Amino acid sequence: MNAAAARESRTMLDKIWAEHTIVSQPGGEDLLYVDLNLVHEGGTFMAFDAMRAEGRRLRKPKLTLAVTDHYLPSLNRSSGVAAIPNPAIRNVVEWLAENTREFGIEHIGPDDPRQGITHVIAPELGLTQPGMLITCPDSHTATQGALGTLAMPIGHSNQLRHVFSTQTLWQRKPRQMRITIDGSPGPHVTAKDIVLAIISRIGIGGASGHAVEYCGATIGGMSIEARLTICNMSIEAGARIGMIAPDDTTYAYMHGRQYMPQGADWDRALQYWRTLPSDDNAHYDRELALDAAVLAPMVSWGTSPEDSLPITERVPDPAAVADPERRGRIERALKYMQLAPGTPLSSIAVNRVFIGSCTNARIEDLRVAAQVVKGRRVAVPSMVVPGSTAVKKQAEAEGLDRVFLSAGFEWRDSSCSMCGGSNGDLLGRGQRSASTTNRNFEGRQGPGAMTHIMSPAMAAAAAVTGHLTDVRTL
Amino acid sequence: MKPFITLTAVAAPLDIAKIDTGVILPGRFMRIRRIPGVADYADAFVHDLRFDEKDQPRADFLLNQPAYRGAAILVTGMDFGCGSSREGAAYAVLDFGVRALIGPSFGDVFVGNCLQNGIVPAVLPIAAVRDLWRQLKEHPGAQITVDLVKQAVIAPDGTRHEFAIDATRKERLLKGLDDVGVTLEHLPQIEAFEAAYRQRMPWRASRI
Repeated sequence: MNAAAARESRTMLDKIWAEHTIVSQPGGEDLLYVDLNLVHEGGTFMAFDAMRAEGRRLRKPKLTLAVTDHYLPSLNRSSGVAAIPNPAIRNVVEWLAENTREFGIEHIGPDDPRQGITHVIAPELGLTQPGMLITCPDSHTATQGALGTLAMPIGHSNQLRHVFSTQTLWQRKPRQMRITIDGSPGPHVTAKDIVLAIISRIGIGGASGHAVEYCGATIGGMSIEARLTICNMSIEAGARIGMIAPDDTTYAYMHGRQYMPQGADWDRALQYWRTLPSDDNAHYDRELALDAAVLAPMVSWGTSPEDSLPITERVPDPAAVADPERRGRIERALKYMQLAPGTPLSSIAVNRVFIGSCTNARIEDLRVAAQVVKGRRVAVPSMVVPGSTAVKKQAEAEGLDRVFLSAGFEWRDSSCSMCGGSNGDLLGRGQRSASTTNRNFEGRQGPGAMTHIMSPAMAAAAAVTGHLTDVRTL
Repeated sequence: MKPFITLTAVAAPLDIAKIDTGVILPGRFMRIRRIPGVADYADAFVHDLRFDEKDQPRADFLLNQPAYRGAAILVTGMDFGCGSSREGAAYAVLDFGVRALIGPSFGDVFVGNCLQNGIVPAVLPIAAVRDLWRQLKEHPGAQITVDLVKQAVIAPDGTRHEFAIDATRKERLLKGLDDVGVTLEHLPQIEAFEAAYRQRMPWRASRI
């Protein structure tokens, strides 16, 4: 390949970035146009407070959409916002309703049938489209990259105020990393296991400074739901951006959804979307290849998503680690997690199971979990919090709610819930969960609480046995 | 945003790897409206590392030791600020009185939030960071200089380390320039972009 051809070969990110660049600072940041800005109640009151203090209005209020998800109770929703017992939580929920009214922003509130976790409902409603640039003050915004979208997290205060005021964002173009996944995953090896395997290999800072594009036959064979799970955890490898090229699976998923272009507009958009995938010979700064065929279901043992291993393994022994910082970190993680080196992962007992979050609460996730629990009983308190009100309805239409309820699960309303516990759904100090979420950081599910992250099938298996369990052996 | 030119101040070692933004600012503090002079995130900063279950300061935690009190520079571990995108984490750093962070690596979103709020995140090689930890522990209360103009960190023993920073960000930090003001100077270009965009992407145009 000659130099000219290399210059002409562009990645999907190159194409979308160029399409949105308004101004370039030589050698520095580009001013990018934001097609859609999604906001939720978490911390965003700060941006509204600043806007109000400065007398600013949104430059393009129709390009911002608000969704209540983080602080919304997963129980007693029919009693309304006024019934939220904790006044601090109630305030945050009310502030978003007040702020969106004052600033003229469309708000999908607690009672809206479209309500759900932002990154679940945006693709569901057809808001997320290939080639768009989407911002949201949430680190899991890259979830939406699964549809070939440049979806980026921003800060909930100053950066959000900037998008509100200008409909733009200053960004330095990241370096680019391609992760190619081939091979047929074995039974019960899911998108979650694949992405945990990637993170455990490259570390929580492994893709820092990079936008990741996930490619390969395994990705091509995945449903959109599974691709959303993969892109969701890009930030857990340090990447703010994670993307998958749109293909026929994508278009079939998108067609007919509420906010999608219709008729002739759809045809014209489709023609454009088909130009988005990276060109052959496009240049990436880094490459990583993974064989999905050799993977086993994964669970985390420590206090970072990179601390994940196949369920067949044992808790690592820091004494066997030469690097002093890494050894120190493992010791610290095991102390927090109250685990002894060498303990078989499958012997770790849990107090609670949580199936939910923008990582793993779409309809497919609930189907898989229901299949595991069908005809069994939970051994520990367990709950399902669907990713959206629509997912909940769909699951009920399929009878999944009955499967969960008769197994002893709680069947709750859609919210971010115990992923970060903003709404008060927390573990007690010293309690341990099996959780389908994205983070097992210290205190993530409550001060002193211990989190093991895993797939919905694995969490369902832990629910029925009361300990981390290889779902393949059930 | 307060300008940052150069800062010579007491520095504290925070040599714990992978302190995520949820540890820097635990989620429960994010329900507090931050009103300058009334309420801030000073107490929330790494709260659960600084205080025990009864809200008493942990004596064995370095930042609680008198020599490091008033530290305006922190020398952090790997991947400081990974995790959640909460901009409040940058405010917690700021409200605690810290204006500069020196570490081997930082979370990407967190770096953006620091730069937007007048905090300098200086990345140095791990060996240099280890040496700073050692000096700060051997001489508690020792000072470090972070010189943004020269893009240099000067260790207590006088060793000088240079760090990289985006030229645009450096300029805005030095002048304390707010992004919104800078961007609105480009308003004619933004409007021209929108007009052309409506032609190219008519299916997206209805909301612009």
